[in-house]
Amino acid sequence: MSAAPEVPSAAAPAPAARRGKAPPRLGGGWPLLGHLQQLRRRPIELFARVRRECGEIGEMNFAGSRVVLLSGEEAQEAFFRGSDEQLDQAAAYPFMTPIFGRGVLFDATPEQRKQGLRNQSLRDSFMRGHAEVIARETQRMMAKLGDEGTLDLLDFFSELTLYTSSACLVGKEFREELSPEYFRVFYDLEKGTDAIAYVNPYLPLPAFRQRDRARRRLVELLSAVFERRARAPKERRELFDVLLSLKQADGSARFSIDQITGMFISMMFAGHHTTSGTAAWTLIELLRHPEFGARVVSELDALYADGREVSYQALREIPQLEAAIKEALRLHPPLILLMRKVMFDFHYKEWAVPAGKLVAVSPAISNRMPECFPDPDRYDPERYAEGREEDARLFAWIPFGAGRHRCVGAAFAMMQLKAIFSTLLRDYAFELAQPPESYRNDHSKMVVQLAQPCRARYRRRSARRSA
Amino acid sequence: MRIRVDLDLCQGHAVCKAEAPGVFDVDPAASRVVVLVERPDESRRAEVRRAIKFCPTRALRLDED
Repeated sequence: MSAAPEVPSAAAPAPAARRGKAPPRLGGGWPLLGHLQQLRRRPIELFARVRRECGEIGEMNFAGSRVVLLSGEEAQEAFFRGSDEQLDQAAAYPFMTPIFGRGVLFDATPEQRKQGLRNQSLRDSFMRGHAEVIARETQRMMAKLGDEGTLDLLDFFSELTLYTSSACLVGKEFREELSPEYFRVFYDLEKGTDAIAYVNPYLPLPAFRQRDRARRRLVELLSAVFERRARAPKERRELFDVLLSLKQADGSARFSIDQITGMFISMMFAGHHTTSGTAAWTLIELLRHPEFGARVVSELDALYADGREVSYQALREIPQLEAAIKEALRLHPPLILLMRKVMFDFHYKEWAVPAGKLVAVSPAISNRMPECFPDPDRYDPERYAEGREEDARLFAWIPFGAGRHRCVGAAFAMMQLKAIFSTLLRDYAFELAQPPESYRNDHSKMVVQLAQPCRARYRRRSARRSA
Repeated sequence: MRIRVDLDLCQGHAVCKAEAPGVFDVDPAASRVVVLVERPDESRRAEVRRAIKFCPTRALRLDED
């Protein structure tokens, strides 16, 4: 780390105080659409081309939105140390507004957000309770599996993480109201993040129509939940029951069901597809590399041989499993482009990016930079062993981003994945049900999902076979 | 030994406070760490090292004088 400690970020205080060159523009754009079609088809290839052809800074064009991609450890550090006032996260994701609805999270100013939904439930002191809930939810999913069969990794982990996220972040009572229909509705919402939203997030396209239908259905489902919840005894009230009961001075409801649905989506969104995808990739990579997979299973068997609780161990070190999760995150980061809107001129070395443009960093590019991660395409969980610790490069190993806006749920996510696999791998053995190279991500939407089919076979481990 | 903080990284998770109470606190309004004792006594080294190791954002480090 190069910056002086205890000194807040060195953002240029005075707008337009310095001159700078315009960053090089990436060639090969189409008229009007620019690089949008490449973004919608092969985004990682597009970002790699920026780095190859323009260097550590280069400008892409998404249908008129100019996005300057910064890459390399030093340029990324400048991005992540930018202040909120200079680099605004809220304005950078137009495809999220129709999903959250107006007035929720990404549609609010940085100041509103600071005062708004500060998620207390992510504090360290809550983690033990969360770990217990996650282990229990995993067991409930396993109860449906039987002794052997095949499952779809996307469906299985989407459903599981919907229950765990809602139970931990929203409320245990609320979670009991959820059915598998919710994860399908959520999936449609997540698929509604087509980058064509840079042209207009309300175009009459199938993905957007499906998104809006899904959101309406979610409002419907939640309305029914809230009606039932209104009759719940007072001592069992949770966050949403309270939000719903708030009244304005004239006696009308403070928040509409539509707004509360938006809050629910925003609380769930960041932790759902990300954790679900990472769980699936952790398992796929362990099955692609069975010798390392066996090490993780024996590590878990040894740790839990004394009958200790998952909720105890998931908060502590499980080195081989953690390395497997980190390596899955490095190779398959759930978010491949992090963006900020430039509010006043952003300077990096001799370049200047004027207000109004977007700046971006790509975890998919960064996590495979050979100067930081030797033999970057190789699955190598040993990278995280003592002495190497390649994840200590805070501005290069960035599956969770970095700096002040680093994923605030990162510790929760790691604990959650440790709790899930501690529970799952003790009782079940898995194997791939497709050729190993057939598992891949679908990059056609800004929210990356595993492409289906993505099936795996499972069987109950012999010592634990049900009588 | 001397504790250094990178405030660009800190998000106020309060893990340090749990590991080494009295050395670290968290300002809830700012969601940022407050180092109560910048040069802790040698007897607290083990706790301070744990606080640094388990910081979820790796915002802390220890300098030897």
